[in-house]
Amino acid sequence: MALKKARDIQKSKPKEERRSLKRNFQGLINQLNDPDIQIRRWAARELAGFEQAVEPLCRRLQKEQVLSVQESILNSLLTIGGEEVVKNLIPFLRSDDAGLRNKVIEVLQALPEAVAPYIEKLLRDPDSDVRIFAVDILQVLPHAQVPEWLLQVIRTDDHVNVVAAALDRLAEVGTPEMIPALLEVKQRFANEPYIAFAVDTVIERTKSEA
Amino acid sequence: MSQIKISDADFERFRDYFYRKTGIYFGDSKRYFVDKRLIERIKATGHRNFRSYFTFMRFQASGKEFQELVNLMTVNETYFFREEYQLKCMVESVLPEIVQRKKKELIRIWSIPCSTGEEPYSIAIYLLEYWPLIDEVDVEIVASDIDTKVLEKSKQGIYNSRSVQYLPREILRKYFKQLSGGRYLIDQDLREAIDFRQINICDFEDTKKMRDFDLIFCRNLLIYFDDVSRRKAAEAFYDSLNPGGIIFLGHSESMSRITSLFKVRKFPQAIVYQKPLTTWR
Repeated sequence: MALKKARDIQKSKPKEERRSLKRNFQGLINQLNDPDIQIRRWAARELAGFEQAVEPLCRRLQKEQVLSVQESILNSLLTIGGEEVVKNLIPFLRSDDAGLRNKVIEVLQALPEAVAPYIEKLLRDPDSDVRIFAVDILQVLPHAQVPEWLLQVIRTDDHVNVVAAALDRLAEVGTPEMIPALLEVKQRFANEPYIAFAVDTVIERTKSEA
Repeated sequence: MSQIKISDADFERFRDYFYRKTGIYFGDSKRYFVDKRLIERIKATGHRNFRSYFTFMRFQASGKEFQELVNLMTVNETYFFREEYQLKCMVESVLPEIVQRKKKELIRIWSIPCSTGEEPYSIAIYLLEYWPLIDEVDVEIVASDIDTKVLEKSKQGIYNSRSVQYLPREILRKYFKQLSGGRYLIDQDLREAIDFRQINICDFEDTKKMRDFDLIFCRNLLIYFDDVSRRKAAEAFYDSLNPGGIIFLGHSESMSRITSLFKVRKFPQAIVYQKPLTTWR
């Protein structure tokens, strides 16, 4: 039988764990800029234990090109959580890197209380793409104000894609009380067949609950 | 008789949300199954109808009720040779590729959560029975769980007839000794070959020790986790695997929905997830 009992746990520690380098906060921050991917990644993971790491982690995220390090940074930020993280991540919604932007949206979705104070401002952003990303954040955000925010979008936003995105989310959380606002948006975008279709879908779903 | 009804629109609304959150899609044929469990939770949480329950569940910041639903919708039990197609994939497709890369170096396999031991023992038996290179290549199997009680049971290796019901008769005879009361004791060599350890996959300090694995079996665990824990687990697995290492998830789970760190590999027997050979994107 060639099944072997596993090696002693100490011996199976990775090189990084056998190092003698002291891993204090400043040491880890320095390692965030190390040319070795593994060292950057490990530093990012360990910094999850330091609340004051938010800014340095976000600074690194701006220039980090390696996916696995990006993920470590974002997961550490998610672990730290809180408003400071949200404040520092929101600028990434304007990033040209779609992958990074989507990951940032996922992290923000997981921080409902901290992201809530920023939603209204994001929904009024002059850039329609940012407004769509804000609606994307609402997609699975577990926050009681989500229906209200979406309603605000369909009532006030002039951009067809932003409104379409909001209608898509309302199909899940819409209520019969929203029907007048839904009919109104259908009229406002009378030349957009998709909006008519989306409104009808939401109404159909909400009506059956009434 | 229950007065609570799930309308077609309710079902669609729930189905879309559940799919978006878990990747599990309920076809119309599952309607009865879904309705029954939904009604069960509506009653248990004191709601009067689907709408009020859905709003409560959808917007609950803790996500606790959603997890309750996931547990109900995905009830699983463990037994030997469960989802055997993945074990087949291991010996017929994955290991040949890893051996080619590592030559005849030691291969390390991690089974998590090992629960009462059916999975790591199934892996061991499958290797011994169906992998031709088992006499030439050394294999280590580490099995872990967060629960010390189930680890103790794993080490004892005593199973009831339900656990062994899908094992071929000759394998049952070869690796188990029948005890009284329809129980079976697994072979002592196997019990001694597997290293059982308590590990919390979401604890960085615990998972730091788990390194240099070539294969990870983590079936039907991530589905029970919330989003944050799932991401932490994916990070831990990434660091635990050697470059090119493979992870097997349960059939309703998908790593692609959690992280983009892994590559999807489609083998004839199963879809698995691979840590890239190089870490440069």
